[in-house]
Amino acid sequence: MASKTPAATGRLLFTFKKWYYNACGFNKLGLVRDDTVYENTDVKEAIRRLPEPVYNDRMFRIRRALDLSMKHQILPKDQWTKYEEDVHYLQPYLKEVIRERKEKEEWQRK
Amino acid sequence: RKCRPIEPVTKLPSGLVIASLENYSPASRIGVLVRAGSRYETFDSLGVTHLLRLASGLTTKGASAFRICHGIEAVGGCLSVSTTRETMVYTVDCLRDHIDTVMEYLINVTTAPEFRPWEVSELTPRLKVDIAIAQQSPQIGVIENLHAAAYKNTLSNSLYCPDYMVGKITPDKMHTFVQNNFTSGRMALVGLGVDHAVLKQVGEQFLNIRSGTGTIGSKALFRGGELRSQTGGSLVHAAVVAESAAASSAEATAFGVLQHVLGAGPHIKRGTNSTSRLSQAISKATAQPFDASAFNATYSDTGLFGVYTISQADSARDVVMVAVSQVGAIAQGNLTVADLNRAKTQLKAEYLMSVENSEGLFDAIGTQALSEGTYHSPEAITQRIDAVSSNDVVNAAKKFMSGKKSMACSGNLVNTPFMDEI
Repeated sequence: MASKTPAATGRLLFTFKKWYYNACGFNKLGLVRDDTVYENTDVKEAIRRLPEPVYNDRMFRIRRALDLSMKHQILPKDQWTKYEEDVHYLQPYLKEVIRERKEKEEWQRK
Repeated sequence: RKCRPIEPVTKLPSGLVIASLENYSPASRIGVLVRAGSRYETFDSLGVTHLLRLASGLTTKGASAFRICHGIEAVGGCLSVSTTRETMVYTVDCLRDHIDTVMEYLINVTTAPEFRPWEVSELTPRLKVDIAIAQQSPQIGVIENLHAAAYKNTLSNSLYCPDYMVGKITPDKMHTFVQNNFTSGRMALVGLGVDHAVLKQVGEQFLNIRSGTGTIGSKALFRGGELRSQTGGSLVHAAVVAESAAASSAEATAFGVLQHVLGAGPHIKRGTNSTSRLSQAISKATAQPFDASAFNATYSDTGLFGVYTISQADSARDVVMVAVSQVGAIAQGNLTVADLNRAKTQLKAEYLMSVENSEGLFDAIGTQALSEGTYHSPEAITQRIDAVSSNDVVNAAKKFMSGKKSMACSGNLVNTPFMDEI
């Protein structure tokens, strides 16, 4: 396995990531990765800052998933979220929240 | 006795005007004045300047809100914003050694604010508090109503956000206003206790993000309306004005002198106000307590001059009629040389005393640099005042008497005359 070219390694990594994403199973409930992130204080603040349309979409997906899980069903295969289409919508806001918190902590330390 | 030398006012190619004065003080005061007052608000963004006043501490591209606040406080500085109908002034004072730090924050706040939606919506309670405090003061109400009644556009915009816009001013509107009005052609960078070269460098490097003159403001159109606000109570605040002269015109000084001839506030506490012609005349007409002074507001392309009276509800009619007729008396030439000289001295004293402290001096330098691109020394101003002749003052009074009037009053209006009865 030593002499794989970078492109081939990239391809392999991508395939592995995609397999892992599908194995996780939340895409069968129509969820996106950022819908499932654990809500600690930083994440809660980032969610508070979401623009309204994005927040409404998130709420809809979570409610649909809760409903499906109550009925012990999953979506039909054509409605499963695809790995390529998964948008990490929360990351910019989360990064900003964490940066601000670190800035405050830096300041307190001085 | 020589005046402090002031550096000549420089104008950069981008249009930015720079003025500074070395006052050898341990504390410096730097400010950015922008021709972006409430008169430049558009019809769908009324109140945006009020929100901008409150938004000076919000996150910018170079520094977060937390850093601006703590950074300025850490050096013992102070960032404040004030707005007039024509100008927004961002001022920062600090000790001389920390100019670089606070300058960075000042530049960030004036050129690169981000107006993040969640930060802007947190300003809404502060907006409501501001408006509630303003509504407590009858004077503010009358002056805002006066401008709303007197002008069709521009100057009729209130300094305060209208109730229906509270919570509805979006970051987009704020960005649009800043894009259109915070351009270097409409800014002045003024410093007291700062090196002129330093300011020039800052101006060239940082304050030319938006060059040009932005959207041209419209000319103020005087219409002379009337607004009455029945609020009950025992007093009546009334202002009767006519269009006077622009700040740059020759008549502006004459109106200033006329204001002091008539009476511009008591000069001796608990005194009899014996030099005020308004007070003397009105005290003969009514025994009830009152206050009357001449009202003079000058803007870049127009002005308002008239009388502002506070009276008991029953005697309001007498007070207002007598006050206006006093101006008429002067219009008929009833002006003694003693009165004229006394008024000139009072006007000179008022100006000179206002530039005694750094706030007043900063304001004077800043407004002159922004509107005219140059600074007139106090000597030049006193000469201008001395040059006003008795004829000029009489003509100013005639302009008031013959001009279309505008009126605003509030309080218990049971016995307050309408504008067409004056």
